[in-house]
Amino acid sequence: MNPQRRTGEVVLQLERISLSFGGVKALTGISFDVREHEIRAIIGPNGAGKSSMLNVINGVYHPQEGTVTFRGEVRREMNPHRAAAQGIARTFQNIALFKGMSVLDNIMTGRNLKMRSTFLEQAIHVGRARREELENRRRVEEVIDFLEIQHIRRTPVGRLPYGLQKRVELARALASEPSLLLLDEPMAGMNVEEKQDMCRFILDVNEQYGTTVVLIEHDMGVVMDISDRVVVLDYGRKIGDGSPDDVRGDKAVIDAYLGVAH
Amino acid sequence: MQFFFEVLIGGLLSGVMYSLVALGFVLIYKASGVFNFAQSAMVFFAALTYVGLLEVGLSPWLAVPATLVVMIVLALAIERVVLRPLVNQPQITLFMATIGLTFFIEGLAQMVWGANVRGLDLGLADEPIGWLNENAGINVSKFDVAAAAVAAILVTALALFFNRTRIGRALRAVADDHQAALAVGIPLKQIWAIVWSVAGAVALVAGLLWGARNGVQYALTFVALKALPVLILGGFDSVPGAIVCGLIVGASEKLAEVYLGPYVGGGIEGWFPYVLALGFLLIRPEGLFGEKIIRRI
Amino acid sequence: MFYREAGQFKTSYDADLAIFPIRQDLIGVLGILAVAFVVVPLTATPYVFTGILIPFLILSLAALGLNILTGYAGQLSLGTAAFMAVGAFASYNFVLRVPGIPMLLAFAGGGVVAALVGVLFGLPSLRIRGFYLAVATLAAQFFILWFLTKVGWITNYSSSGVITAQPIQILGYAFNTPQAKYLLILSVVALMALAAKNMARSNVGRSWMAVRDMDVAAEVIGIRLMPAKLLAFAVSSFYCGVAGALFAYAYLGTVEPEAFSLDLSFRVLFMVIIGGVGTVLGSFLGSAFVTLLPVLLSVTVRYLDSNLGLHIPESVISNLELMLFGGFIIFFLIVEPHGLARLWQIAKEKLRLWPFPH
Repeated sequence: MNPQRRTGEVVLQLERISLSFGGVKALTGISFDVREHEIRAIIGPNGAGKSSMLNVINGVYHPQEGTVTFRGEVRREMNPHRAAAQGIARTFQNIALFKGMSVLDNIMTGRNLKMRSTFLEQAIHVGRARREELENRRRVEEVIDFLEIQHIRRTPVGRLPYGLQKRVELARALASEPSLLLLDEPMAGMNVEEKQDMCRFILDVNEQYGTTVVLIEHDMGVVMDISDRVVVLDYGRKIGDGSPDDVRGDKAVIDAYLGVAH
Repeated sequence: MQFFFEVLIGGLLSGVMYSLVALGFVLIYKASGVFNFAQSAMVFFAALTYVGLLEVGLSPWLAVPATLVVMIVLALAIERVVLRPLVNQPQITLFMATIGLTFFIEGLAQMVWGANVRGLDLGLADEPIGWLNENAGINVSKFDVAAAAVAAILVTALALFFNRTRIGRALRAVADDHQAALAVGIPLKQIWAIVWSVAGAVALVAGLLWGARNGVQYALTFVALKALPVLILGGFDSVPGAIVCGLIVGASEKLAEVYLGPYVGGGIEGWFPYVLALGFLLIRPEGLFGEKIIRRI
Repeated sequence: MFYREAGQFKTSYDADLAIFPIRQDLIGVLGILAVAFVVVPLTATPYVFTGILIPFLILSLAALGLNILTGYAGQLSLGTAAFMAVGAFASYNFVLRVPGIPMLLAFAGGGVVAALVGVLFGLPSLRIRGFYLAVATLAAQFFILWFLTKVGWITNYSSSGVITAQPIQILGYAFNTPQAKYLLILSVVALMALAAKNMARSNVGRSWMAVRDMDVAAEVIGIRLMPAKLLAFAVSSFYCGVAGALFAYAYLGTVEPEAFSLDLSFRVLFMVIIGGVGTVLGSFLGSAFVTLLPVLLSVTVRYLDSNLGLHIPESVISNLELMLFGGFIIFFLIVEPHGLARLWQIAKEKLRLWPFPH
């Protein structure tokens, strides 16, 4: 835990979000906020609606009720493209990399919003198109250095082991220089060393670039260690919200995890 | 008004034959997830084999079962040579394989039996039904009605087969989930061989009917290609869809040709079903009867 | 030992981005271009030009167009020939009705018209995908051909729908020999292939591939699906349109809409599948394969006929061709789904290690 980290104003506010698919209610009346520069964890048993929550934040799902306010802009529904343009980036639980491309190309796609040249300029590959390509390549290489994946630059992502794929997905998210990073189980399926690496990367991103991080995670040790505040979901409802210590001792949270009937 | 009914009924009846071809598609898609572009080539092949056998001197009573045997052998060969090696490939790869298969089958059919146009006589005259003509003044061909009857029998038989027999149940299981079906011990290879054979039999019926109507020639493959819009409208995995939408396509294309055609110089039959299907796709991508596709992220 | 990267260090991203980063590759390609531009015109016979090289190049261009749409952007299309037809007939009308228009501009104009039509028929791709899209492109194929035959204005009211392409005249120089046509087509195709390669390795190419691989994720990182897909249709149709114009002017001469039938669409699709989906090289390899196979077949048949007295009738040959095409497609899909281009890549990798096995 890092008590010295300065958390700023509220940058993301979710109010009374309700989401259902057909008859299944995924989320019911969820409200919480996220402050700038903090690391906010969303935890809860399986099926609690955590991924759905992230999907609402960046506009992949549209809630039936409630509002999402990002940087003061009240929005009933986000749309993924606007979210990306506003500086929200994310990773997915089941890796959403472009399997047909190399690591380098995948990460370069993360920079697509920074590129202004038209396809004609790119077809001729002179002037602005060429400069942009080189400049963005340079930035992407910085991210590659940061995440220590230089050795697999040219490998098609389909061939990489799971842990490295997750790292590449993180790199792609970071390449867009986001102000808000949404991570969906970034450490799933990793061993202890890989988890330590991932924690280190997340903390570094937060400290060096001031990126606000919202992450879904199951490993309690990780959550307690790196997050500033925690939201707990169960059956689509919020049952806990506060610092890791507060949440750890909360009876409702413990019951939810132990599966007490309610 | 009578004329309208004539065109309508004529269209419906030719639609029945589209349904038959579409049925073959649906069977294979339901049971293996393969979109068999070669279905129309199979129809052509079946028709050509039948007339070829007739020319060689077989009687019609022998030729039909003989052709059926040939279709079954073809189905088995396809399963062994094309499908088995491509078992876990993405759908698009299998689709392209069936495109290759189309050309192979067409070439084979014409090489073996020659490319001359031949007539096919099923003993049913393409004459108007007497009493309907005299009493209501409507011209409906006996042949078309007989074709519709055959199709109805076939569909009923298939529906019973799918829903009442053990094999039918196994086929539906395989269509749902290959892995799960394997896990409960359903022999995938045999199932596929059965399905493609049934599809071959359906192709045979369709081939005989179409061939009798239009003559057995290469253009038959284009006619059979019209089954694709039928599938779009009806959904790729729905038997009722194939039937109903076959009728819709048949009727609408004839009506369009007769009533809209003169304004634009005629010949719209060639593309009308496709454009109709296209319009439909924009409103309801999964077709009238198909399953809604949900994509999870 | 000849094909080693050792010692070739890249000291700038610019160098790393080069199309042919390995020096031996660059030399190889320059060599091929030298042969194509200099040696071939001096040595090839008119038959080789008109029967092999010209169709090979033109269809490579069409295959390139289809590759952009199907290979890079993942939108399956069976309407390639229709877009070629649009390009051909549009160019014809530009030359016919705009007096003094430079021919290259007319060809480009044909390409632009084809691009617009492509966008129109590409609109459904925003809602439908996969085989459904393939059937939608069939609608384009049948409708466009019908339209071109029915609307008399397009064919200048010729009774049979046949047009005669005007002789090619650029800057006062008449391109009427096979050699001249070949060089013209070679130049156009080389430039457009370069453009395609540039697009493929730039942002636009990556956006297309992202849309192909996982469009939901592409949206999440900010790629707008509609512009990306429609652009793919537009660029692809432009390439096919120019190919169609060249097909009409430098190959067929007298053009009827039937020359652009479904059969041709399939032929180009075969080139893309066999050559390698999603690669520039694959378009050329596939086109070579499909163009040369019939030639090889007829040479073999003639040999068998004259040397062994084995006479095989014409009909058998054309059907054998169909069977071989179908068979090869299946063969490639089973053995190497990524086509000849991948086989070439594997060969190069083995060559890099040669004479060592691994």
